[in-house]
Amino acid sequence: MLRMNNLSKVYRTHMIETHALRGFDIHVREGEFVAVTGPSGSGKTTFLNIAGLLEEFTEGTYLLDGAEVRGLNDDARSRLRNQKIGFIFQGFNLIPDLNLFDNVDVPLRYRGLDAAERKRRIEDALGKVGLASRARHYPAELSGGQQQRVAIARALAGSPRLLLADEPTGNLDTQMARGVMELLEQINAEGTTIVMVTHDPELAARAARNVHIVDGQVSDLEHPARRAPAVAASEPAAT
Amino acid sequence: MEIRPILSALLRSKTGAFLIAAQVALTLAILGNAIYIVQDRLAIAARPTGTDEANLFYIRFYGFRDGIDVPAMLDADLAMMRAMPGVKSVATANMAPLTQSGWNLSVQPNSNDDSVESTNTAFYYSSENLVETLGLELTEGRYFTPDEVQVIEPSVANVDPRHTVITRTLAKHLFPDASTYVGKVIYLGDARMEVVGVVERMQSPWAQLGEAAERSIIVPMRQLDPSAAYIVRTEPGQLDRLMREVEDKLTAARDDRVHLSTTSLPEARANRYRADRSLAWMLVTIMGLLLMVTASGIVGMASLWVNQRRKQIGVRRAIGARQRDILRYFLVENFLVTSFGIAVGLALAVALNQWLVSALEVPRLPLHYLPGGVVALWALGLLAALGPAWRAARIPPAEATRSV
Amino acid sequence: MFAYYFKLGLRSLRRNPALTALMVLTLAVGVATSMSTLTVLRAMSGDPVPSKSDRLFVVQVDNSPADTAAGEEPANHLSWLDAKELLAAGDGLRRSAMYAVGGVAEPEGGEASQLINGMAVNADFFAMFEAPFLHGGAWSAEDDARGGAQVVLSSAFAERLFGKDDPTGRRLRLFDGEYVVSGVLAPWRPMPKYYWLVGGNNRFGDTDEVFIPIRNALANESGPNGNVSCNGDGPEPGFSGLLNSECTFMQYWVELADAGERGAYRERLAGYVDGQKKLGRLPVGERSRLLDVREWMQVQDVLGDDTILQTLLAAGFLLVCVVNTVGLLLAKFTAHAGEIGVRRALGATQGQVFQQYLVQAGVVGAAGGLLGLGFTFGGLWLLARQSEEVAAVAHMSPAMLLATVATAIVAAVLAGLLPTWRACRVVPAIQLKTQ
Repeated sequence: MLRMNNLSKVYRTHMIETHALRGFDIHVREGEFVAVTGPSGSGKTTFLNIAGLLEEFTEGTYLLDGAEVRGLNDDARSRLRNQKIGFIFQGFNLIPDLNLFDNVDVPLRYRGLDAAERKRRIEDALGKVGLASRARHYPAELSGGQQQRVAIARALAGSPRLLLADEPTGNLDTQMARGVMELLEQINAEGTTIVMVTHDPELAARAARNVHIVDGQVSDLEHPARRAPAVAASEPAAT
Repeated sequence: MEIRPILSALLRSKTGAFLIAAQVALTLAILGNAIYIVQDRLAIAARPTGTDEANLFYIRFYGFRDGIDVPAMLDADLAMMRAMPGVKSVATANMAPLTQSGWNLSVQPNSNDDSVESTNTAFYYSSENLVETLGLELTEGRYFTPDEVQVIEPSVANVDPRHTVITRTLAKHLFPDASTYVGKVIYLGDARMEVVGVVERMQSPWAQLGEAAERSIIVPMRQLDPSAAYIVRTEPGQLDRLMREVEDKLTAARDDRVHLSTTSLPEARANRYRADRSLAWMLVTIMGLLLMVTASGIVGMASLWVNQRRKQIGVRRAIGARQRDILRYFLVENFLVTSFGIAVGLALAVALNQWLVSALEVPRLPLHYLPGGVVALWALGLLAALGPAWRAARIPPAEATRSV
Repeated sequence: MFAYYFKLGLRSLRRNPALTALMVLTLAVGVATSMSTLTVLRAMSGDPVPSKSDRLFVVQVDNSPADTAAGEEPANHLSWLDAKELLAAGDGLRRSAMYAVGGVAEPEGGEASQLINGMAVNADFFAMFEAPFLHGGAWSAEDDARGGAQVVLSSAFAERLFGKDDPTGRRLRLFDGEYVVSGVLAPWRPMPKYYWLVGGNNRFGDTDEVFIPIRNALANESGPNGNVSCNGDGPEPGFSGLLNSECTFMQYWVELADAGERGAYRERLAGYVDGQKKLGRLPVGERSRLLDVREWMQVQDVLGDDTILQTLLAAGFLLVCVVNTVGLLLAKFTAHAGEIGVRRALGATQGQVFQQYLVQAGVVGAAGGLLGLGFTFGGLWLLARQSEEVAAVAHMSPAMLLATVATAIVAAVLAGLLPTWRACRVVPAIQLKTQ
């Protein structure tokens, strides 16, 4: 589904080079639920940006659903984002002016679907997250957990191949967080590939596989059960 | 107060600063020119006629029947009007100042050789004392005597005056080297006229721009065409009443003529300068709107900058800036932008004026008008930026540590 | 998608009503001042007779004296001496000499006498200037040649005297004589009254009330009711003295079959001038010329400098308003950066974001245009107070109404270009994290 080989991302500003990612390898198979962990500044966010086609990379290859992403122009990447990827952000990022229905509608509009088809998908998605009855309400009227569910519905409405979640429970209390995680697991069970970035080891444990990033490189672990419960002080990978 | 860091921060958000500067520049350019045009037009509209304007009106009749005894008609009318209480003086006249129609003839000084340059003048004639009736100021010589008045039958004889009273402006123009003008000779075609008196000022009916409006002559004459036109001077406060009464009485007196018009001189002035006054008002309106629009633009942009830098302002406060330091920062920033705009605006104002002068005969902008505009725009910028700057100063230091 | 963007645009306007109101108001005022001054400008510079303005000519035969300065314009009017000869030559498709007359009409039935203005013209006048007839028509060629006592009435004047009846053939006491009504014009108001531009502030005013044959007016010694310009020694006394002198008070118009014949006519005119020079007249006659309708209007300064000046300054004001709107839109769109980032992440291309925000700018423009319409009427009312002439033309036509709204939309979209371009350059990644 998602395969990056020897990927590197270098930021250059005023003669200073920052290697956010170097020699980065990752392979996420279809239907997997992968958690990406690591300390702050390790490159998790950069990885997510690149995976989500929000940023370009300097070297290496990235195959999304079998197709090479490098060299695609902005319009092509926008299309891919729209059709293959669903985003879930820490801060929900719902549009406050629009009600729930219209919020979920946004990515569908850029697909050029007709009104009937959009309506069907929106109602489906809102139903799946349990908020169909509040379709005409506005985000400000919802709790944090409910807003995140709407964001998930928005991500799902386009039937994406890959869901990218950036600290999806970061702004939620424990109970809401649990609800959101259950929803994600349910979605994954239905076949959607999920890559979740988190710094919370308990959350990471719920994923089938963990990938740990330190200093822009991967240290891959097959199953969380094999790891010590405490967050590993990362051993730098062999240089 | 460090200007350099403010300036370099400003240069980071060039677009907004440039937009404000552009508005200020355009406003100054338009304002500077408009203000001067307004002042110029109002000055034109305020030029005196040299007469007792507030108490004068001009009334005209046209006789349409054949065989009217004109001298009898004129004398009867004059007598009737003089007998009315409140009438100070009456005279026949072929035209009146500011009424925008009349006679315009050319005269030559000293001789009527083709080589002598001729000058267009407004040609007034009357068989009564026009100086007395109009309230003109005679500064040299005398007015005509009754035996100098000619009676001309236009179907058989031409105008052929022998004496004239002229305005000082015309005298100076025709005889630049002289200091007194009584006794000078002026030719109207073949007619040789002698100057018997000089009036200080007598505006032409058209009140044109420049000296042409002040070149008039009076000639003692009565023409026997069946029109009757009179200038009436009233006692102060009697103008409106007498205009109606004189018109009624003269209309009722005969049935072989029709009333053409009754116009007071103040009314004639309003008509003559209507276009100039309207243009002035229109320009004043545009200037007012312009200032409001530019002020709103400054308020908007300053507010945006304050909002964008909330965190930064909190941080500054947290590390020791006082409220008035923040205030001063934003006012200085605004001052820099406005000043840049003003500098460009000065050049634009001159350029715009240059173009208007060549394309549309607008008068040249005297440079001493510009400092006023500069001060006005500085003040405007300051007042407009005050609100947002004040709000910036009220941002709490706690803003520094807030996230999201 | 346009409907979607339109809806989004409307919604976002409601988000910050103060800012929206400011933008709409600014645009409205800017557009209103420009459109009202432009309306007046267009009316004053419009072609009053586009179907033939390039083949209808005023003939200026310059009889100015020998010492006339080089830069001066040829005389505005003609003398009867020249008009008479031109009429006799019969050149061109149609022709008419004319001058203004005035006097008293005495309607029958005891109504009061009234002072009226009229023109003394040749019969060709009506066809030349496309004056439409309600009843009857112009007088015959015979009446034209012998100066018969015929009269054509304006529609308003005929209605005042005869009501709705057809007065053709009836008699009217006019200028101290008896006239027969040969026709009544339909309402006719050329803007300006281009056939008689010299000597009056009445160029956009009401139609002349009566038209009589010029030879009739001359025979009756009707004095010129307009400018009379005499150079040199002045005429002999009396009306016949005036006619036989170099005093100018007439206008002469000729209609050619085709604009291309202008050159040939000009040559024939030069030939006439040469002939007159041999007789000792027209010392500077070579300055005589032919001007078509538009050129004549320009020389006569129909479009005054003041009108142009106020239009220019209004346009300058609109420019400031547009710059102001750019700034305000920039501020508004900057505040939207978060939403833009989300949309981009969800798959909107830069082009789609660009369209969305350009439409939003357009919505502001449309609102400004509609409000501006109201202001424009106010502006026209203010301008109408300048003079009778402006009052006559300061009216909105349907075309100008549309143009007002269109201008506002175009101005707003232009103003929106920079802010929109900035908006779609928002990089989604950074924005999302800052939220």
